[in-house]
Amino acid sequence: MENLDAAELNIRRWCTDYLAETLKLPPGRIDPQAKFARFGMDSAMSVFFLVALEDWLGVELGSDVMFDHPTVAELARHVAGRFPQAAAAAAGK
Amino acid sequence: MNGSQNDATSLTDVLAHWASEQPNARAYVFLKERGGEDASLTFSQLQARADAFAARISQRAQPGERAILLFQPGLDFIVAFIGCLKARVIAVPLMVPRRTSERDSSAAILADCAPRLLIANDALRESRPDVSERFRDTSFEWLLTDGATDVQAQASKPARTTRRDDIAFLQYTSGSTSTPKGVMVTHGSLIGNLEMIRRALGSTPGSTHVGWIPLYHDMGLVLNALHSLHVGANCVLMAPSGFMQRPLSWLRAISDYRAVEAGAPNFAFDLCVNRFRQEHAEGLDLSTWKVAYNAAEPVRADTLDRFATTFAPYGFERSALHPLYGLAEATLLVSGRREIRAPLTRTVSRVALKRHELSAPTSDDDRYTLVGCGLAVSGEELAIVNPQTRLALGACCIGEIWVNGPNVAKGYWQNADATRDTFQAVIEGRDGTWLRTGDLGFLDEDGRLFVTGRIKDIIIIRGNNHYPQDIENTANNSHPALRRDCGTAFAAVDDSDNEILVVVHELERTQRNRFDADEIIGAIREAVVNEHEIAIGEVVLVRPGALPKTTSGKVQRSLTRLLWQQKNLDVQFDDAATHHAAGS
Repeated sequence: MENLDAAELNIRRWCTDYLAETLKLPPGRIDPQAKFARFGMDSAMSVFFLVALEDWLGVELGSDVMFDHPTVAELARHVAGRFPQAAAAAAGK
Repeated sequence: MNGSQNDATSLTDVLAHWASEQPNARAYVFLKERGGEDASLTFSQLQARADAFAARISQRAQPGERAILLFQPGLDFIVAFIGCLKARVIAVPLMVPRRTSERDSSAAILADCAPRLLIANDALRESRPDVSERFRDTSFEWLLTDGATDVQAQASKPARTTRRDDIAFLQYTSGSTSTPKGVMVTHGSLIGNLEMIRRALGSTPGSTHVGWIPLYHDMGLVLNALHSLHVGANCVLMAPSGFMQRPLSWLRAISDYRAVEAGAPNFAFDLCVNRFRQEHAEGLDLSTWKVAYNAAEPVRADTLDRFATTFAPYGFERSALHPLYGLAEATLLVSGRREIRAPLTRTVSRVALKRHELSAPTSDDDRYTLVGCGLAVSGEELAIVNPQTRLALGACCIGEIWVNGPNVAKGYWQNADATRDTFQAVIEGRDGTWLRTGDLGFLDEDGRLFVTGRIKDIIIIRGNNHYPQDIENTANNSHPALRRDCGTAFAAVDDSDNEILVVVHELERTQRNRFDADEIIGAIREAVVNEHEIAIGEVVLVRPGALPKTTSGKVQRSLTRLLWQQKNLDVQFDDAATHHAAGS
């Protein structure tokens, strides 16, 4: 089992909840290890997802971040590592 | 005051007029994504840069040869486009291919138009080295716009002047990925349609315009960029990605620049409302915005209502809402002549509309509100025609929309058959040849056009046209459990009246009892989004042999669509059905 801290886990959960709602799927069907493209997300959906994540965390992530970290798991790990304070604050939300 | 425009043969004559009348007025501004100006061009600067660049084009290409224009958002595209017009080289705007797409239409477009030049800039070459690799089998010369100002414009060139019948540019928005069709827009049809647009919108040099639609898209090119140039107005442009990330930045620019005209496809108005936050809209003043046009995908009454209500506190007037109808085959604009009133709507029976009939709604659930797209632009004739009998229909009868006017393009590039079928149709008992739009609609008692549907097999998502055969081809090859050539794709309408893409595919006989539906559906979704940049609304997997086919074994698309609508498909797995079952 992977070792996830609270902040990373919380970001993951936010991402899967967001994607489940957008894609009208039960959250259990969003595999954190699956590539975003697997859910059929086009660039507009990706932009909306990223903007919502930025709003929630209060940080700027840059438009290539989903290209460089193409799964929920990788994105959560990256964001938690790069913005530990915002991620910790998010964990408390 | 517009005398010189009416006499103009080419848009280059109009630019020359404004460069001498108002040399220091700004023609174009390009905004940075995070606010502030990135670049601007006055009319005289544009004239000088385009002259210099035209000289460089003429050293490399003959009049009538083609030049691909490949640019990320910015003003270099404008210089290159006007440069081509001046050099009488046919411009071919092309979307920069997406990295994830292995087989998009760009290769077929290059093969179809056989360009002599590919015009781009340093920024593109540096940021996208994969583009050179992708086009390595095509022979053309690269020409970069950077440094064009260093080259002295040559003295007035003695080459023969442009004729109205010369092709100005090719617009490749029609046809599938494998067989793209380039609409031949002549200098005459371009200037003819720009004059129609000027009159329809009532534009003047004070009609500052704000736009973010890509310039390779016919609406971004003609209605934003070239229309503003034609009327001598300032055109403020921003990157499409900037709009998608922060829709209010478009409205902020309209407010900052006191813009009079700005428009977009219907989805953009929804996006502005959905992403509206009061705290981001402080000081927003939309009272100068007199023409908020909505075009390139079906216009929805509820979108207009929500937008007008949300932004009324910021000075937005409902009467500014201005639905338009057009297509590249008519250069751009077909209807939408300005009237000083809110857009006209008409509430009809949803059920009857599906049978292409107009009648009063029979219940509240049956109510469907259509939005009128205005009167035919001046100088053009519209007809509603029964596509089978080729007889013209009367007011308030639904049929195919046919167009006859100087704005109709010359045809499809090197495609005589498609040109004859689409551009040279004849109405029984009437003179002249007509353009078939493939769209369905009716004219009301006053001649206002209402668009109700389409007979051409395309799927329109966010103002972009997609062809079902392209999607089918991609889905077919996406997973080994799918039965070869036994799938189909079509447009449908979801519960909220949004247009969605539905893919239906048969499973292999050997696979159907041990398949992993998530994996197959994921593979289809991934392949389609990578190749076509379109998110599938619903994937349906059916048992082998379940789809209706012709005697030659081809899946019948429209019959499958009907069976899907009636819920009469023998479904093995439907991802939408499982959402409902598992989710709610």
